[in-house]
Amino acid sequence: MIRQVEKYLDKMQRDRIGKPGGMALVASDDTVIGQGNDALQSLGSSLLERLDLTAVALVEPTFPFTDYLVVATPTAETRITPRDTETRTFLHDIPILRSSQLSGEPADRIAELLGQRKGVLVEGVGIIAAGSITVEQAYINASSLFHSLLVMYLLDLLTRTNIPEQELQQLDDFRRNWLKPLVSPETLLPGKDLNDPTTILQEMSRVGRITVELGLVDSFFGNISCRFDNTLYISQTAASLDELEGCIDPVPFDNSSTCGITASSELLAHRLIYEQTGARTLLHGHPRFAVIMSMLCDTPDCPIDDCWRDCPHTRLLGNAPVVAGEVGAGGLARRVAPIIGDSGKAVVYGHGIFAIGRDGFDDALNAMIETEEWCRREYFRRLDMKISNR
Amino acid sequence: MHGWHGQALHVNLKTQQTRSEQVSPELLQSYLGGRGLGDRLMRETFTLDPFDADMPLIFAVGPLCGTDLPATDQLAIVSRSPLTGTIFSNSTGSRFATRLKQAGYDMLIITGKSDKPVTLQITPDSTVIEEATALWGTTTTETLSTLAAKGSSAVIGPAGEAQVLFASIQFHDGGTAARGGLGAVMGSKRLKAISVDGDIETAVAEPQRLANARDDILRLFNASPALFGELGFKEFGTAALVDLIARRRMAPTANFRETFFPGSFNYSGPALQKEYAPLKNGCHNCPIGCRVTASDGQPLPEYDTISQFGGLLNNDDLPTIIAANNTCTALGLDPVSAAASIATWSELRGSFPEPEDIVPLLHDIAARNGDGEQIAHGARRLAEDSGRPEVAMTVKSLELPACDPRGAYGIALSYCTSTRGGCHQQAGVFAPEILRKPVATDRFSFAGKAKLVKIGENNNAVIESLVACRFAFFGASLEEYGEALAAATGIGHTLSELQQIGERIFLTERCYNQQNGFDRNDDTLPERFFTEAGSHGEEFDIPPLDRVRFYEERDRYYRLRGLDQFGQLNTTEFLGKQP
Repeated sequence: MIRQVEKYLDKMQRDRIGKPGGMALVASDDTVIGQGNDALQSLGSSLLERLDLTAVALVEPTFPFTDYLVVATPTAETRITPRDTETRTFLHDIPILRSSQLSGEPADRIAELLGQRKGVLVEGVGIIAAGSITVEQAYINASSLFHSLLVMYLLDLLTRTNIPEQELQQLDDFRRNWLKPLVSPETLLPGKDLNDPTTILQEMSRVGRITVELGLVDSFFGNISCRFDNTLYISQTAASLDELEGCIDPVPFDNSSTCGITASSELLAHRLIYEQTGARTLLHGHPRFAVIMSMLCDTPDCPIDDCWRDCPHTRLLGNAPVVAGEVGAGGLARRVAPIIGDSGKAVVYGHGIFAIGRDGFDDALNAMIETEEWCRREYFRRLDMKISNR
Repeated sequence: MHGWHGQALHVNLKTQQTRSEQVSPELLQSYLGGRGLGDRLMRETFTLDPFDADMPLIFAVGPLCGTDLPATDQLAIVSRSPLTGTIFSNSTGSRFATRLKQAGYDMLIITGKSDKPVTLQITPDSTVIEEATALWGTTTTETLSTLAAKGSSAVIGPAGEAQVLFASIQFHDGGTAARGGLGAVMGSKRLKAISVDGDIETAVAEPQRLANARDDILRLFNASPALFGELGFKEFGTAALVDLIARRRMAPTANFRETFFPGSFNYSGPALQKEYAPLKNGCHNCPIGCRVTASDGQPLPEYDTISQFGGLLNNDDLPTIIAANNTCTALGLDPVSAAASIATWSELRGSFPEPEDIVPLLHDIAARNGDGEQIAHGARRLAEDSGRPEVAMTVKSLELPACDPRGAYGIALSYCTSTRGGCHQQAGVFAPEILRKPVATDRFSFAGKAKLVKIGENNNAVIESLVACRFAFFGASLEEYGEALAAATGIGHTLSELQQIGERIFLTERCYNQQNGFDRNDDTLPERFFTEAGSHGEEFDIPPLDRVRFYEERDRYYRLRGLDQFGQLNTTEFLGKQP
């Protein structure tokens, strides 16, 4: 278990979801093992005494946007509900605990809330996430909370009437130093021809890893596939995109085998896209600015309550169409497939980008990068305009 | 009261007395319902012989039954197993559960032995015990047909009447309490059938909150490849697992001598679809619909049955598998134990039956004729009586299902720690080790598996007490069902409190078993799994289990459970502290 703790703390550090020295991962078997920040380890151990979990991840975010979210939440509210698909499907909502509620033994109150959801937001501490059965699960949940909360924060900035100077400086630092450029040297290397299963598996692993390194997915969420003859090679559900070796299912197009029952929950979307576009490869990720921009809808007096599920309209982000649709069997697949062919990319409301490649993974990866770059530029253009108009 | 009715119906078949009794709110909140409440009500009787007249046979529903929450048309049937000698709970999905709740009861407790065969008919207004000599000897299919107008029914077949140790209880809509021989307990009471009907609604404390929880659960079902994926249960039923388990090299073959059966493609999910054009079916109010029926209406077998009558018996003939399933249903036999006992018998005699011999053998078992008389006692007794106990692939006398423990080490451990014997369902580790849900774990590692098994056992004790279908948890979790529990009952339980309830239920069962003589020596696997390799895969081997690591992890499990090094706890002290 110690190896798992080391591995996922290292991943948290590489993901930079917390301050250097501001993260800890604590796991419990018949003994408690912890790594990272001492004070956070101590809190994590206290939580594991109160809850029968396998692990807890504790993250003090790189800049205190989580505290700003808590402050911006009306005091009567005990939870916040980001609008992205990650929250809607998996997190449901995020309990918050204010620093004023932390008197006495904070672990008692935190444990009570952590027992209700996958993670909690504690003012002055940060994100605390549970791993009910594995260490990796704590990492995944911490990463998911970070993603959802950051998306919520950035989205809220566009509607805030006042952004204090200190926060603006922190935001500028985040923009210039935390956000990565969306191109890496390896991205520019041409991929190999996808002419045999061995090469396909190698290429999928390589591109999956680049996708994670560029920050186009949070933790590992996303999926990747390649069509070859009558087989669809697709990453498995809950597979880490940067560790795909041994985690790719070959799924026959004629459904003559059900081995792919462990394939990504978006298998149907991949299949329909291949059938309707003739693409060779498909990449799906949740880059945050595409997620944010997909939820900015200017339609006045719209009667639709459930945008994720019911919006029938197709909008554009640059030249990428945006449609609604829920995860898996929830309708996303049938809405993306008809509209992705022309531009090779599509964005799903609150969810992320699908991008296809005609021959290899290069054009799929580039299409995803282009879309996210456009969304990032457009987001900051709007934010800058808002700030300059103060 | 919200969620529960707070009423138990007691029926004594000897005295023919019936009475309705309140169940205290403390017990309801401490044990929830289903398995937990059933276990609690066994507190005074668990040491009795399973066929003792005073041994209760308990049918218990939970606080979510009767609401519109998906996968909650479920109940638990609890007693002491004549096959294993352990406390035994079967959870199954059937409209019977909702009808029992609509009759106004959270549980039905049957004791006594009738002098003559009888049926029991329960409505909100009356409980009637009726002589049923004419039904005795009929198949479950025939009995259910006779009782069709009387609401929902649970019946036994000839195997239950003959007290075959792995006789099942069959429900009118395809549900079955298959394992552990609780059909034999019902048969020993000369109770042929129970019918229930009613129209009393379950009161919900917070309807909108329940609706929100329902939406959350359905979104997670949508996101679960195993449930709603195009290769999952909704499309193929549990037969979808045949190909996956074959690929993982975990398909018990020839009485677990091998772990891959090349002929399994003959009875895979796609093969069933091609041959029988199945219709989707399932429990009332469940969107998963994992039960499939052929286009002519005959039920098609679920995964364990297919695999047990397939590779385990070296048989790739799909029509024989379908016929064996139908025969087990009609005769009231647990197909998993029946096939496994035949596999043991086959290894003992040195050859497996021809396909055409399997169905006649099942009839012999139910009638206890010829070789069937020996097989009717189950694999463990059969092997021991033959002087070769090592041939029985059982744990605590319960025949292992269609999942080889050499291919997933959490499953291996869970077979040994389960309070009902060789069963991985109590720990629910199949989901992370095989289906990668909610997250994947390394199936070839023991690291973390003791904790995984312990948490899973506690969670599943809660799930089987709510009562909710285990399959729902291939998508959702206790987080969502706990929210639904709070909405239905108006009583919020924190996760920690639910975990404590789960632990209370599980350790209560362990106490019962311990007092009935079970100890550490029973928490182990057949020797074969430590000494013989399974069939290798394309890029991996299936070696024998590492005995040292296995026992290290079992010892760790004992420590996590607060047991001593012999796997024991102070039962008097523990039970004395429980509500």
